[in-house]
Amino acid sequence: MKNSIVTFLFLSLVVTVFSTCDHDTDQFDGPNLVDRFGEFQLMEPLVINRTTVDFSAGEDVRMTARFNKSVNFTIQLTGTESGAVKLINGFDNNLDETNAIWTGGTTELPFFREELVEVELLVPEAGPLNQTGTVEIVGTKTYEGSLFTDFETPPGTNIFFGNFEFELTNNTGRRNNGLAAQGDWYYLFEGTDNVVPNFFTGLIDIKSTITGNTYAPVPTTAPEDLYFNFFLYADGGPHGIAVVQFVYDSNNTGAFEDGQDATFQFAGDYPLNWVGWRQFSHTMADVGMTEEQVSKIVAIRVLLISDMNSQPSPPVPVDFGIDYLTFTAGRPLEL
Amino acid sequence: MKKNLLYPLFCLLLLCCWTTGQAQDGSSLPSREDADANAKVQFNGLGRTILNNTSIDGALLDTDTTTARRLSDGEFLLDVAINAQPNDNTEVQGILRIRNEFGGFFGAGVTVEVRELWARGLIANTVSYRVGDFDHVMTPYTLFLADEEGTVNEPEVFRPQKEVIEYEQFYTDNNSRRLQGAKLDFGLAFPVILRDMKAEGFVARIRPTDFFTTPNRFVGGGNLDFSTRSLRDSVGLQADFGINLSSVWDDLQTGAVTSGITNQVISVDFAVHVFENEQINVQVLGEAGSSKLDLREEEKTTFTEDDTFLEAGVAVDLKASKLRLSATYLDVGPDFFSIAAQSKRVAFNNNKTFYNRIGNQRRLRMPTLFDLGRDRALYNFQLSEDLMAYDPRYANVMPYGKATANRNGLQFGAVYGDETSMFDAELGVALLSEIRGQGTFELKDFRQIRLAANVHLDRILNWEKTTKITLGFQQEQTDRGGVEVEVVDLSSTLIEVGLEAELFNRFDLLLGAKMLSAEGRDYVPVIEAFNNIEDFPAPFVADDQETMIGAGLRYRFKDDVYLTLQYQQFSLERALDPTNDYDLRQVFAQYIMKF
Repeated sequence: MKNSIVTFLFLSLVVTVFSTCDHDTDQFDGPNLVDRFGEFQLMEPLVINRTTVDFSAGEDVRMTARFNKSVNFTIQLTGTESGAVKLINGFDNNLDETNAIWTGGTTELPFFREELVEVELLVPEAGPLNQTGTVEIVGTKTYEGSLFTDFETPPGTNIFFGNFEFELTNNTGRRNNGLAAQGDWYYLFEGTDNVVPNFFTGLIDIKSTITGNTYAPVPTTAPEDLYFNFFLYADGGPHGIAVVQFVYDSNNTGAFEDGQDATFQFAGDYPLNWVGWRQFSHTMADVGMTEEQVSKIVAIRVLLISDMNSQPSPPVPVDFGIDYLTFTAGRPLEL
Repeated sequence: MKKNLLYPLFCLLLLCCWTTGQAQDGSSLPSREDADANAKVQFNGLGRTILNNTSIDGALLDTDTTTARRLSDGEFLLDVAINAQPNDNTEVQGILRIRNEFGGFFGAGVTVEVRELWARGLIANTVSYRVGDFDHVMTPYTLFLADEEGTVNEPEVFRPQKEVIEYEQFYTDNNSRRLQGAKLDFGLAFPVILRDMKAEGFVARIRPTDFFTTPNRFVGGGNLDFSTRSLRDSVGLQADFGINLSSVWDDLQTGAVTSGITNQVISVDFAVHVFENEQINVQVLGEAGSSKLDLREEEKTTFTEDDTFLEAGVAVDLKASKLRLSATYLDVGPDFFSIAAQSKRVAFNNNKTFYNRIGNQRRLRMPTLFDLGRDRALYNFQLSEDLMAYDPRYANVMPYGKATANRNGLQFGAVYGDETSMFDAELGVALLSEIRGQGTFELKDFRQIRLAANVHLDRILNWEKTTKITLGFQQEQTDRGGVEVEVVDLSSTLIEVGLEAELFNRFDLLLGAKMLSAEGRDYVPVIEAFNNIEDFPAPFVADDQETMIGAGLRYRFKDDVYLTLQYQQFSLERALDPTNDYDLRQVFAQYIMKF
């Protein structure tokens, strides 16, 4: 009996010793000291894996470089014609396909065009690196979703021009002046609410037939999953407001009939108080439309409003541009 | 059927019970023979008077126009312990504190508070209980209050101020923690194999809820300690072993609280007397266990961490030589987390009560040997849910005591002497390394040598009056290789020398010196939560020299009643920043009376 106890105690001791010395040592604790305090060194320069790229064919651009420590880095890609900018940010000591790949998207509108793109590697803590290169886009990226219109082709009768108070200028309409957010064309509104000072300056009705269909094609009819995306251009003038309305074919005629079909709009509208292009996205549930209603969008109405409460006297002109109206499913359009 | 078996077994256990009696400490009942054994209510306590004058000067003060050069402070304090025994099995005690700041007159600066309150007794002459304040200690990994940094064998001249700190913070010689709650203990005796078993259980609240974001926090647990009878008489084989559980948890049922932690540590400790005769005793001893930490938020466990520890070794008592030698292997996992064992005495981030900020820029003054020896505000007995800050100059090898996580290696020890020896000494050597790197895969190597020795001149020279020289020594070295920024090379040396000489009857001369030098570089991590490292701020670079000397006289009116008058001088020299060198001086009188 006593021998058994001694044996048991001894075995317990051995088992305990062997079972308590296994620890997790795959990682170290805290930030890497070399990253934290080491001096930066470029071990391998920036290399771009191709000189031309066709994003429409699914190609991408991969960049590589290697540092002696993990640092915050930025790869800045700038379109030489469009001015589009794509920023790839990260914290690493090695640039490869996991953290330095470009599939044609943009960070700052406009979209890239078929153009030459300048590539530059920036490491803020290291100062100027002079790590640059170029790549030429021969095919632009195809974005997800159902396009409503990008104004690239003449709309004909698919756009109704509502200059009821003759306050819109002759500049209002499709424009091709190098400012388009996507492609070459966008739609510009410009006017002054000085004829009938009632806030309203002008509008256009873009009929769904511009897509070739009676109703706007949507990738999903679930309003909470259906995102409407568009780009607005503003010049920072503080008095303009853009309004976007969705027209539902209430009477099932298959055509837009003003005064008979119901309209919905995003609460709050879009005060035009910034400079440049900006993306807006919201779900159709946000505008209050049902599943049936989003499947029968017969037109989209875009209005220019002059905020007379803030306008000086006489009122000054207001304007904005709009481009690339799309529907996406599940998430906002990813640039 | 099972119930039928359990009931007689339970009865047998009860019959075998022997009580540990009212073994729990803290009673102010006098143990003197002249005490009135029949008194139902007794008054005891402590009186203390401190008058202190502190001054500062040095290079830093040459341009400092904001810091007062001289400060005076002190206190008059009376702790009255009221102890009552309403019956043979019950005892209650409360300590009422009356305190007056030095300089307070006619009631100004006077505080009256309850310092301690508890009751204890015996249930059915079997189970001992205590409610209210109590001290509790388990093992160094489960519930323990490790010794503070900055001292190995404190010279007697520096002891009076340290005793005040220890009294105020409820520190005890056995590293117990002061808690408030309830505890039970009882014992069982066995006829075969096992000799006896002692069981203890406790629970205490260590943080109250605010009913919104902070839940009640409790610490609880217990231990079962067994002793066997002789398992092999020819070699004296006998074993003591125990099971320990310590748990800190938040009660998420209070108020609107939705997040809290649970930290459990369970261990088995053992001491097996492998061989024992009149000359030698060989023991195999140690402890092994694991910790687990869970963070629960919104009824989900959002963070969990667990790890193990092991301490196992051999100790040999050479009885004739009064020498005990030991060798221990230590392995404490990097994720080992034990709130009740790792919470430190010294809270380096606390505000100091004097010269907390100095210089025209009002910079925080780093705690020094001077502060560690005097400032009770730097000390703490509470449990911290994060690893507390430490100063690598004072303790870099095991800043959280034995429970310091991420350590692996060997410890050697040697203890010599007894009550009659002309000198006694205790030597400890630790050769450890990290298990997991910090900021790198390179691992730090640690070396620590600690020596405490007392030379009893009175025994050597056959004097009747107490004359003793005390020595303390600690040397620590931390190294790490790697590329330039990873390299660590920090060394520190602490030397203590003291003299206690009874010049006349009960009239003592006290002299002492402490010197700390630290040189090199290390990285001191910033702890984000629990024991997780958030960052390493700028490298910790030291080339410091701290020197503290003290001289004083002490008259002992009787045991536990004395008056001491002392002068102490401290200087800090920093080779890397000599313009911020400074000196501190203090003259103080301290009268202590325990009654």
